[in-house]
Amino acid sequence: MEIPYIVTPRKDTGLFNSKIAIWLFLASEVMLFGGFFSAYVFLRIGADYPWPERTLPVLPGLINTFVLIGSSMTVVFAWASLKLHQWRRFQLFMGITVACAVIFMILKGIEYNVKFQHQAVRLKDYSVVEGHLGYEKVGEEYEKDHNGHKIEENRILVEATRVTFNTVRFHKSWVEELISQAEHRKSKIVLAEDLSAIIDEGQPPKTLAKAGDALSLELLERLQKAHLDARAHNGALRTAALRGEWKKANAANPGKRGWEIASGVNIDVEALAPKLLTEIGTVAFTVEPAARFDFQPRDVREAETQSRLRDDTLVDGKLLASPMVFHYVDAIDFQHLAMKAVEKGQDPMVAIEDSWLIKNHPFAKEAWEWNKGEVAKLEKKLIEKYGMDGKTGKPNREPTLKERYRIGWKDFVAKADGVGREKETIALKEEFMGPDYKGREAKHTFPHLSLPREQVGFASKFSPAWNTYYAIYFTITGLHGLHVIGGALVLAYYLFFGRKMYESNPEWLANRVEIGGLFWHFVDLVWIFVFPILYLM
Amino acid sequence: MANSPEEIKKSVRTYLFVGGVLFLGTIITYLVATVPALDVGKHGFDKWDCVLGLIIASIKASLVAAIFMHLNHEKKAVYWLFGSGLCAVISLAGLTALALGDPIFDTFFYSGR
Repeated sequence: MEIPYIVTPRKDTGLFNSKIAIWLFLASEVMLFGGFFSAYVFLRIGADYPWPERTLPVLPGLINTFVLIGSSMTVVFAWASLKLHQWRRFQLFMGITVACAVIFMILKGIEYNVKFQHQAVRLKDYSVVEGHLGYEKVGEEYEKDHNGHKIEENRILVEATRVTFNTVRFHKSWVEELISQAEHRKSKIVLAEDLSAIIDEGQPPKTLAKAGDALSLELLERLQKAHLDARAHNGALRTAALRGEWKKANAANPGKRGWEIASGVNIDVEALAPKLLTEIGTVAFTVEPAARFDFQPRDVREAETQSRLRDDTLVDGKLLASPMVFHYVDAIDFQHLAMKAVEKGQDPMVAIEDSWLIKNHPFAKEAWEWNKGEVAKLEKKLIEKYGMDGKTGKPNREPTLKERYRIGWKDFVAKADGVGREKETIALKEEFMGPDYKGREAKHTFPHLSLPREQVGFASKFSPAWNTYYAIYFTITGLHGLHVIGGALVLAYYLFFGRKMYESNPEWLANRVEIGGLFWHFVDLVWIFVFPILYLM
Repeated sequence: MANSPEEIKKSVRTYLFVGGVLFLGTIITYLVATVPALDVGKHGFDKWDCVLGLIIASIKASLVAAIFMHLNHEKKAVYWLFGSGLCAVISLAGLTALALGDPIFDTFFYSGR
């Protein structure tokens, strides 16, 4: 069948069909991204924390902008070459376009990867520490977990003596994890006491498992089945009994409404009791001998004697010191703390001096004192340069909140080298990957910090969980990245599989490339807004 | 729509020019945001820097739309389609702006005073 209006325009619209289609699609795309941009505005206006201004590495963003604008030009040249029937030139320009898309995604990948390895933590007093966690060491060796992976120093450690599972909610992979952790520590998880239950109506209890039986998924699943069967059986009995009671009550009180007699309708619990099966809601195991288990902080709500996992497993045992250890701190940020202090009507400087970090961590105190000196110098310089406002008697320009209250890695470096912020030259690599600890002789530059667990308010990598800024950043750039991939796939298809169509119907191919190009320009257009909004503001 | 070879050759020159302007605009945006001497407004970074950055971005975006996407000489149908999408975005974003007057942002609303 011949498809109409692929080359010749329709008379009423003056356009070939796919052009109408792509513009319809682009209109919907405008609405999609417009929605996200207005979400960004809303999140920023409504933020109850200091919005992280200009935190992203600018250089990769800038390069990506050039790459996209360049590819936008080459795709239009590719279309022009097709119109002029220059296949070789088309191949060249389209090839550059697709290569640009690949470069863009590689840079994006590096940027994301750096984020996912960057740890942030907000202390209970709202000071924020950013940096990189270390790994636990025993003597000289790194401590390995049962999988042979190094254990990150951000684990909840419990000297477990007893583990109680919820037979309905237990999470299979966590059970396996517990078993292998126990094995690794040369310990055993065994059933605490004999478990007997009535599993057939009216029969005496049967022993389902004996004390000392080792914990296994199979055992838990067997108990789960027994529990669920018993619950279904008991539930059915209770429902049937209640239905009978209602029948009797309705017969005894003709003409009355349900709510009038409801209080008198009750099941005879004692009569029902002998028919019921045993429900096994929880099952307890002991750990012999007591062993150290480690858990991801997000999976456990820890407490002195009994911690609870997210699947309702109770772990009895002493909570061991579980500090969060930064081997490299590359930012200490008091902006949030200062904001909270102002909200409470306190002097932010006093609140910062009172913070846990300044009081307990000599390096933080030293860095803060240094930063105060730098801010004073900056204030003086701004007054010299921009003067004072005659009316209010205040300086025309003041340091920003970030300059006042945030000590970033560049400041640490400047402090160590004794060079002012402006003069510091930064290696190109650091613009992409963040601070280069080894190159900077980290020990003299970036402090090592051990945070006791009770000081940790909220901790996360630089992932969407950290704050709404990173949430909207990953949403918008992720969606944009998907568009880049999609567009590049279509353009690559024209490049590698377009020859046949070029020979049979070159105008059709030119139109297709124009449509693909329109989409590509739109992707560029979105990035033109994304770059200043997310990277520069 | 440029269809004859001469017209296309001519428009290629326009594309090159526009590409140059886009590169230049990007560099200006970057400099305005990073070089302290080029800051506008009272603080190092404030709303006026945002406004300036967005104005440059809008100019760049309009250039891409007008020249690369041929919106400077398109058929009526395309204007209707794209324009309606744009109008929807602007009006919906406007609605969210209206919502800023919503008492949900007013702490006194909940304090009962």
